[in-house]
Amino acid sequence: MVELKDVTATYPNGVTALRNVSLRINDGDFAFILGSSGAGKSTIIKLILKELDAAKGQLIVNGFNLSSIKKSKVPALRRTVGVVFQDFRLIPNMTVYDNIAFVLRVIDASPKYIRKRVPYVISLVGLQDKTRSYPGELSGGQQQRVALARALVNDPRLIIADEPTGNIDPELSYEIVGLLKNINECGTTVLMVTHEHDLVRHFGGRIISIEEGSVVYDDYLGGSYEN
Amino acid sequence: MRLSSLQYLSAQGFGNIRHNKLMSFASFCIILVSLLLVGFSLLFYVNVSSMIRNVENKNEVIAFLNEDVTDETIDEIKGHLDSNNNVLESVFYSKEEAFADLKMEMSADYPTVFDALDSNPLPHAFKIKIDNIQLLTDTVKEIEMYYGVFSVRAPYEFADALIGLSRVMTVVSVSIIIALVVVCMVIVSNTTKASVFSRRKEINIMRYVGATNAFIRIPFFIEGLVIGVISGLVASAATWIAYDSFVRILVEEEEVLSIIGLTSLIDFSTIAAPVVSAYLLVGAFLGSAGSVLSMGKHLKA
Repeated sequence: MVELKDVTATYPNGVTALRNVSLRINDGDFAFILGSSGAGKSTIIKLILKELDAAKGQLIVNGFNLSSIKKSKVPALRRTVGVVFQDFRLIPNMTVYDNIAFVLRVIDASPKYIRKRVPYVISLVGLQDKTRSYPGELSGGQQQRVALARALVNDPRLIIADEPTGNIDPELSYEIVGLLKNINECGTTVLMVTHEHDLVRHFGGRIISIEEGSVVYDDYLGGSYEN
Repeated sequence: MRLSSLQYLSAQGFGNIRHNKLMSFASFCIILVSLLLVGFSLLFYVNVSSMIRNVENKNEVIAFLNEDVTDETIDEIKGHLDSNNNVLESVFYSKEEAFADLKMEMSADYPTVFDALDSNPLPHAFKIKIDNIQLLTDTVKEIEMYYGVFSVRAPYEFADALIGLSRVMTVVSVSIIIALVVVCMVIVSNTTKASVFSRRKEINIMRYVGATNAFIRIPFFIEGLVIGVISGLVASAATWIAYDSFVRILVEEEEVLSIIGLTSLIDFSTIAAPVVSAYLLVGAFLGSAGSVLSMGKHLKA
């Protein structure tokens, strides 16, 4: 669950990116955050990941109160959130397997569990034959699927996808969002930031529209998508 | 943390050296050059100090005794000299020996100069070697106070020149070494910062997936440590070879050797253990601490 109560966020250079934003994303929701460049979409992600501190207001993410969280607890917060970025952000010198297993190593998972869980997650995103490949050897769509598998592997309560379709072909975009929908149907909350209206219209769901740092629309929209 | 995690992080540290060959090689070269610059400066200083000390030991103070000095007094003076902390060596030089030496020295040019003498006019004396020439004046004053000592002749000018040279050498060497240490630290710090900066995305990814700062630091620490230790080993070998070759060249130059003295040159095998240990420790410290400290701003929560 993500809850923003009257949150204002200001960057160190003095730019206010969010103004008095209040919204609540319940467990199991699939929400699109829609807005043009500079509207404040990515700021919400930075706040959720504790990359940026709110200047005002209260933020609760998966039970962590980010206004009072200790620095030492930030890694624990981030372990409850899986993140998928527009630029994939895979570690180039690690294979697909190692990029995904890395998340489990961070949480000190047992080698036995890693050996069992990683191939399973790789199979979920359909990359069984690319296990030993390096990110540089994969297409954009394949890299994004690895990023998705990495976000999924430690079974997070929330997955944040920051413009996950921005660097891939349009037809692959639908595939990636389809995968996110499937993940959501298994109970994981998904928050996807995008500016692609076609995708939103196709898949439907909760739409939160942000303009100039304020929420201007927050409602459910039916889509043409069928699983 | 599980043992398997530690093994994984260690393997990551070693793997990073291979994956980041260029930056690893740059760090290795910078640490190696830094170690060699400071190491050679220190060895130069140690050897020059040894040479000055060797020249210092060639000093000779002569204490002339009273004409009527008795054997008991001579023994007493010898006892005082032996117990003096700043006297390295003292040898009794009898008036007979002195006269014989004088005759031998002058007989070639002035064969009849001693014919008119009825008796030996020279006094008994002690030839004394001073340990620390910087304390020459005080030691001479002490010797002058011994009962039975008539006067003391000391090489004050020689001592002043040596003390001056020694001070200049110390100031110059220490300044150069400090300057080198500072320059090397700045260069090492910048190189490791560049190395870490080139991998800031990787560090960021680790943070996003919830890695603790310690988890992120360990591979960098191991990587820096290994590069530092390798630099230390190579620096030790290079210093050993270069130093031995230099000493061999000097030994062949008889003129140079007659000035500095063979014993002034310190044999590398006698200082190999501390030199190699220092290279390894400093290399390991520069490599590991450099890497870990350079990560600071990339690890903010």
